[in-house]
Amino acid sequence: MTLVDARGPRETRAAGGDSRRPRRGGLRRSSARLGWTFASPALLVVAAVMIFPIVFSIIMSFSNVNVTGNGFQLSGVTGKNYSILFGSPRYWHDLEFTATYTVVTVTIEMVLGTLVALVLERLTVARGWLMALLLLPWALITVVSAQLWAYVYNGVYGVFDAIMNSVGVHNLNVLGTPMQASVAMGVADVWKTTPFVAIMVLAGLVMLPGEVVEAARIDGANAWTVFWRVRLPLLRPALAVAVMFRILQAFGLFDLPYVLTNGGPGTSTESLAVLGYKVLFNDLEFGPGAAVAASTALVVLVVCLLFLKVFRTQVGEQED
Amino acid sequence: MARRRTKNLGTNIAAIAIAAFVALPLYWMVASSFKGQADITSSAAVPPHPTTANYGNAFSNYNFGTYLMNSAIVAVATTAIVLALGTFAGYALARLPMRGKTAIMTALLMISLFPTIAVVAPLYLLLRDIGWLNSYQGLVLSYTALMLPFAIWILRNFFLGIPKAMEESARVDGAGPVRTVLQVILPQALPGLFTAGVFTFVAAWTEFIIALTLNNSDRYRTVAVGIALFGGQYTTPYGTIFAASAVAMLPIAILVLVFRRAVVSGLTAGAVKG
Amino acid sequence: MTALMSTKTNKRRITATAVTAVAVLALGTACSSSSTTATAPAATGSASGTITWFANQFGPTSTDVRKTLIAQFEKAYPNIKVNLEQAPSDSDTYRSTLITQISGGSSSFDVYNGDVVWPAQFGKQGLALPLNSYFDSSYWNSFSNGLVTSLTYNKQTYAVPLFTDNAFLFYRKDLLAKAHLPVPTTWEQLQSEAATLQKDGYVKYGFAAQFDSYEGLTCDFTEFAADAGGSAVSADGTKATIDSAADQKALTYMRGLITSGVAPSAITTFQEQQSESLFTAGQVAFLRNWTYAYADSNTTGTSKVAGDVGVANLPTFAGQTGPGYSVTGGWNLYVNPHSKNLAADVDFLKWMTGTQAQTIIAEQGGEIPTVAGVLQNSAVQATNPAFPVAAKNKLNARPSFVPQYSQVSEAIYNNVNAALSGSASPSSALSAAASQINTALQSNGL
Repeated sequence: MTLVDARGPRETRAAGGDSRRPRRGGLRRSSARLGWTFASPALLVVAAVMIFPIVFSIIMSFSNVNVTGNGFQLSGVTGKNYSILFGSPRYWHDLEFTATYTVVTVTIEMVLGTLVALVLERLTVARGWLMALLLLPWALITVVSAQLWAYVYNGVYGVFDAIMNSVGVHNLNVLGTPMQASVAMGVADVWKTTPFVAIMVLAGLVMLPGEVVEAARIDGANAWTVFWRVRLPLLRPALAVAVMFRILQAFGLFDLPYVLTNGGPGTSTESLAVLGYKVLFNDLEFGPGAAVAASTALVVLVVCLLFLKVFRTQVGEQED
Repeated sequence: MARRRTKNLGTNIAAIAIAAFVALPLYWMVASSFKGQADITSSAAVPPHPTTANYGNAFSNYNFGTYLMNSAIVAVATTAIVLALGTFAGYALARLPMRGKTAIMTALLMISLFPTIAVVAPLYLLLRDIGWLNSYQGLVLSYTALMLPFAIWILRNFFLGIPKAMEESARVDGAGPVRTVLQVILPQALPGLFTAGVFTFVAAWTEFIIALTLNNSDRYRTVAVGIALFGGQYTTPYGTIFAASAVAMLPIAILVLVFRRAVVSGLTAGAVKG
Repeated sequence: MTALMSTKTNKRRITATAVTAVAVLALGTACSSSSTTATAPAATGSASGTITWFANQFGPTSTDVRKTLIAQFEKAYPNIKVNLEQAPSDSDTYRSTLITQISGGSSSFDVYNGDVVWPAQFGKQGLALPLNSYFDSSYWNSFSNGLVTSLTYNKQTYAVPLFTDNAFLFYRKDLLAKAHLPVPTTWEQLQSEAATLQKDGYVKYGFAAQFDSYEGLTCDFTEFAADAGGSAVSADGTKATIDSAADQKALTYMRGLITSGVAPSAITTFQEQQSESLFTAGQVAFLRNWTYAYADSNTTGTSKVAGDVGVANLPTFAGQTGPGYSVTGGWNLYVNPHSKNLAADVDFLKWMTGTQAQTIIAEQGGEIPTVAGVLQNSAVQATNPAFPVAAKNKLNARPSFVPQYSQVSEAIYNNVNAALSGSASPSSALSAAASQINTALQSNGL
């Protein structure tokens, strides 16, 4: 067995036996049927509830939509909503901001989260307490978390301002300066969601097969090599899921900018979701608003699929 | 021996740093919840004149007790259903020879990445037609659909990591598929179950937009929406908001503390297997 | 082999069909929504039954004036019961839930509070019931000047005014007395007096207002611009007029307050709450805020300046006839077009805009009544020193008579805030605002 085995845990184990040996036809057929029986309830619920709203939204993005007291009136098929979007500098600015914000915060959270998970794994005393503490920011309602940070960064009575004043930094205007507002938002985000990543990574870590790591240690690898070359590659599936869903959530960032800055100063911290919300519910422009949503979904989908390809994490283990 | 002690020291220092980073803003929130109207602008480390007025305010001026109960019912029901449905779906997608697994996983991903704000109005129409507005079922159904994709992805990942040998021996022993899943596989995938369960519970507990739209009447209002109603047009009553949030955080905090041994052993049980 | 294929494909086909069926069904239902209310239903006969009032909180948070109003109404109309449904306090959040419910045909509430800038938008989209046929012309004459025009869109009136709100100049009378300064009547005078007070160490900051990137900034900017003789939208609602010398003078003045240190640089993140807190903490000499600020800053126990607060009309620019303009705020009462009890709704609206209710709103709620007779009543005026000042206010409405007001306002506050934060020069900010307003008025953009 090589020291560095980058295959997934299941494949490693399967190295001994031939998992691809076809079973008898009848067993496969009943297994497949069983699979559908097991999976159908979940898939049906998701499809029944979500397919209509999503399809409706996509259709809206290609129609002229008039929302009145008598309901949604859709007429015609048009690309006008999308051309409005793509011709609007505000849309491109918000897309760029959201994308940059996503990349930066997800990277930081993945790194910090993994470090936290490693610490948790090694802790003997008080591991349970630390884990419970970690879950608290995650358990805070997002709107309230945003309000807490708005309170902290408040230009008049915020404690952050008070702390900065006490070390001699005066006349700060954190939420009123574009770059600083983005960083402040990032800090609030990292604080709240690093625990999410940490727990996901920790759960992945403890599921790693012990013997591979042991073998590496016996071969004389030090802790760093063991982590970087043995465990991290094995963690790839868990990390991939964490990254993908974090990208999803970060791209849909709404509560934090809405409560903390309302997209300000100007529109410098306006995320795509805030833009979508304003276009939909303030301006009552459901056509362009749906287009914002659909284009956001498309961007995230492309990013996720690319990401999966790049990390070579197979989505389907067996293709029959 | 010395090496172990240094390693532990480094870990412990890191743990303290992490705990501080996480706890300080939380401390500020809880401390501020004890500040009266006059002190809310104070940045003293300890509130100058602590008072429990905000807590009383949350429960007497607003129906906060009702909101807590509603959130609890919805979150628990959602988590239970998501785990039940998601476990079997995740297992099937991990182990059983179905066609189109890639398509299904991609479809699930695509569904969960559509922005909620665009989905909310049509979702309202759908639930209006079923007649499940202003109810527990409506919200539970919506949340289940919303959170299943993520749960399935997590659970499937964990099932993939379980040695096939377990199922082989279970089959040899004559266990049916459902029993195999429940009695043999599930105990091995506890970390995954815990992860999916916690995330689903927290997501259901803290969700705002859909709860605001679907459950409009005070009787079915959830905590997240309830807190948004605090205050008037020109005032954000931070003290009351933080008091209400501290109380809202309490159930989760207690649950995790009480079950921390189970959680920890569940998470580390996986490491022991060889 | 074929049997194997057909079982699996059959299962998938069934699932797919089921899903499509659900989707088509729901889609069909959504597209052909509920009633087609073309003509206004009649509200005849005696009103009875239960109606639901969807309202956010107004007035002091300690006493819920809505409950007092309901109690008194039920006494006057024993056959009608009113349920109160609590609404979100944030105007935009509130609007989003109203839109979803009303467009979905909900009749779970009958009458609802709404912002004063909504009539044009809600009227155009049919989200509120037109009220002309339920009230005679003498009813509309009882309201203060200018209020009724703001309720109208396309010759239909879509709401009744519940209470209005004005802006005032609040000042520290004790500091002015110590420094022997008069109450300023022009903005230039205010700036120099504020600078003096700061220099002599009486107070940390000279002026506070609401310059955050939100609707409140549109209010403040509209006032400064009107004082300078400018506006944002032409009177016929077809083009932007914000890119003018007058508007630029106003914006340059506002920016000058910040660069000269009279206003804190953090003012670009202030909404009402922060500006009020700075004032009640005793750290600013002059404050532009709404009616509620008088009672709030004079509350002993929570305000450090209680008893030292004076209220006056806002100043204007030198060379203009005073006083300065105040924007009209406040809230209206609208009727849900899907309401099932119109007779009761009309009675409720009539009573809420009658003398008894308006007096309660003024005295207990501390809000400016919309009925002119009540505002001019000396007993009412005596309950709040801001009221006699309000009676002398020069009022100006925001350009909410265009249905695209939400986009217009966003164009204003996004760009003005950028200029005030220093990210854009006043002239480039105003020309950007003008082009965005024009796009909005032509319904051409985001």
